[in-house]
Amino acid sequence: MSSFKEIATKDSCFRAGSTLCPGCMESVAFQNIGRVTDNGVKTIFTIGTSCAEVSTLAFPNVVAWGRGDESSDDFGKSFSILHNVFESAPTLAEATRDVADALTDCGALDRPVQIISTGGDGGAFAIGLRTLLHTIHRRARVTIVILVNEIFANTGFQYSPATMPYADTSTTPAEGAPGNMNPPLDYIHLAIAAGAGMVAQLSPAHGKMFVKAVERSLEVEGTAVIFVPAPCISGWKFEDGQTVELALLGARSGVFPAFMWERGKGGSVKDCSLEASERPDVVDFLAMQRRFAHLVQRDKVTGEVKPKPGREQDIENLKGWVQSNVERMYSLANLK
Amino acid sequence: MSTIGIEHGPTTHVATPGGERYDILKLERVKQAHIPFYPEQEGVTADGNTAAAIATLQMWRALIYPGFPITPSTKWIETVAAKVGAQKGTKKRVKLLEAEHAVADYMVGAGAACRDLIFSTATSSVGLDHMTETTRSLGASGLGNVMIINVYRATANFPLCIEGDPSDAMAHRDDGFIQICARGKQQIYDTVLQAPCLGMHPEIMTPTMPGYYGIKDSHRNARFIVEADTAVHEFQDRWLQPCHLPGTINGDTAMGNCVTSRHFQGFKINQKRRIERVLDILPQIGADFEKTFGRPGLRFFDETAWPEAGPVDIAVVGMGPDYGTFESVREAWAKKNDVSVSGLALRLLNPFPRDAYREKLQRAKVVLVVNQAHHSGRGHLTLDVADALAGIEPQPRIVSAFAGMGGADVSEATWEAMLDEAKDALTTAPRQPYMVFHEGARL
Ligand SMILES: Cc1ncc(C[n+]2csc(CCOP(=O)(O)OP(=O)(O)O)c2C)c(N)n1
Ligand code: SF4
Ligand SMILES: [Mg+2]
Repeated sequence: MSSFKEIATKDSCFRAGSTLCPGCMESVAFQNIGRVTDNGVKTIFTIGTSCAEVSTLAFPNVVAWGRGDESSDDFGKSFSILHNVFESAPTLAEATRDVADALTDCGALDRPVQIISTGGDGGAFAIGLRTLLHTIHRRARVTIVILVNEIFANTGFQYSPATMPYADTSTTPAEGAPGNMNPPLDYIHLAIAAGAGMVAQLSPAHGKMFVKAVERSLEVEGTAVIFVPAPCISGWKFEDGQTVELALLGARSGVFPAFMWERGKGGSVKDCSLEASERPDVVDFLAMQRRFAHLVQRDKVTGEVKPKPGREQDIENLKGWVQSNVERMYSLANLK
Repeated sequence: MSTIGIEHGPTTHVATPGGERYDILKLERVKQAHIPFYPEQEGVTADGNTAAAIATLQMWRALIYPGFPITPSTKWIETVAAKVGAQKGTKKRVKLLEAEHAVADYMVGAGAACRDLIFSTATSSVGLDHMTETTRSLGASGLGNVMIINVYRATANFPLCIEGDPSDAMAHRDDGFIQICARGKQQIYDTVLQAPCLGMHPEIMTPTMPGYYGIKDSHRNARFIVEADTAVHEFQDRWLQPCHLPGTINGDTAMGNCVTSRHFQGFKINQKRRIERVLDILPQIGADFEKTFGRPGLRFFDETAWPEAGPVDIAVVGMGPDYGTFESVREAWAKKNDVSVSGLALRLLNPFPRDAYREKLQRAKVVLVVNQAHHSGRGHLTLDVADALAGIEPQPRIVSAFAGMGGADVSEATWEAMLDEAKDALTTAPRQPYMVFHEGARL
């Protein structure tokens, strides 16, 4: 394992020039993953249709990928990226792994490759649940990174199966209606049940843990899955400069607790107490985002956050969901 | 043409229009790892699916066989699995995916990972439909090393029937694949062997879809020659050189990007140009095949009873094994009716070789076109033939027939009924823009 400092000095395969919104967590995640993969091993990314793709892989405008200003003579620094249809990134990654393994098996390739599939929560949990679970189920030796911003951001902030309760999305509007009423899919449990070798829920807001998890994902047996909670400045509607703060608050308050799990070893919830009283109040998390403006309001004088009149019960319901979410994560950590 | 053979020194990379390409793959090791399935030429009795499976197994560049069952239409994946499983020490692998869509996606990933390996699968009907989102991407991808063997079967599942009419192949004509129709086991075997040479040609780089009729050809046995694996390799190696563009493994490259409109427009024009090159290169591959193995190679169509020169009264255009029934009734019917009858059995479905048809069919007074797939208008083939004949004076009359729909056998009586209509058209205009024939009668 490299030290956090050491990784910070590496050459990321995610480069300047993307058109991701300033403050998008996806670019922070790519920066970090890009650095971790600068380890002397050839890197191949596959990517699903999403903000992450259309904003980074634009040709002949900027392709914000590649290691170094020019291709290196060192094959171990070389980098490739492949996009096909919306949900196909895990299958593309699995195919790439199989071809590399088959070539190695014949003696035709004597250098290792590391393969990372990436895409959004819509691609993974809605249209692509089949491909996600089956690639995991076949124990493909790839890392699957899913950027969970709880919406279809690229197409205009629609509901996704990861949308949290009460969120205002363009297809679960909160005007005159409660927002999303469907609890999110238990995707962490699904990944474990499908046979993943490693499952994490971590964002770069937990910097050291995040890069360690990415590093570990490249070593474990079978498929490693990293769900990256990814605050979306445009869809969640928060202020500039709050991305990391929001990601930390979301994790600590129990909306998407930091979690690391390995098959055979079990796992743990990090930085998020099982006791509600020991966690930051989820209401503070809600108050930072206008997607919950129908639920809470901040007193302009005292700065205190309160439920909007008539929304008290909804806030209680939401807190109940958060507590059950944290309990769920603790019980998943006990699985071996 | 050259054989493969790459010198291996330290890894070097060269810039190509698709990114940097590293000399990292020792392809000759893949070839050395191939264990022959047929050390010698052999006569084999088997069905069409087995013929296709044998051809794909014999290719040294085929290391991984992705698939999803669509039995009974094709037992290709079962056959491949059995033969790979029975071969001790083989490096070949069978890859079972969870759906046809995943198979097609897998072939994108695999074909892009190494552009020098061949990735084939087989499917049919709803299986091909299920792949559609990605077959249309594949068609544009430049991944000529991908081959989907299509066992023709009706696409409609409402009501469900497994009969082999070619409506699936027709519905997928605009996916962008090179589609070649084979009839008979020998032609199936030979076509599958030649298809990658066409698709992977550096001027074409377009995936291929060899196909044959379900049930009629996929399930009926016949005897055919299987060439020795070494002979297959020699032939393919003459046509297949290491791809000049990088794959994701041996490259520093981005593929499947999100592109600006202008670039996309240029890309689409290039895609069209590449598939048009099939019209020049297919006959060359076919001729080389014929010279090598002594059997007809790829052609635009098979010809029946065309005189050296001069006019013919009726020219028939059809496809698939039912065309054989026409061949068997042709002579007697022509004699009885005192007219000359020739025929063309379609081989290259996409791109449609318009000029070659025009050259032949302009000699006919009447062209009888037999369509076997559902079409809302006059028939897919009819429209292609009409296009091929556009502007010719005097214009041969087109008799458009639908027969064998739903996989029905086109019986001798049905052929005779259609030929009777064509004969009438020698003197009067066809009764209707198209006519439907079934079990010996015009409906
Ligand atoms: C088959 C198909 N249906 C719909 C779309 C339109 N589409 C493109 S990206 C996208 C949403 C992506 O959402 P997600 O995977 O969560 O990624 P995000 O943009 O949120 O990062 C949709 C619906 C598509 N590309 N393909
Ligand atoms: S819309 Fe959201 S996910 Fe998309 S680039 Fe902007 S911040 Fe990132
Ligand atoms: Mg999303």
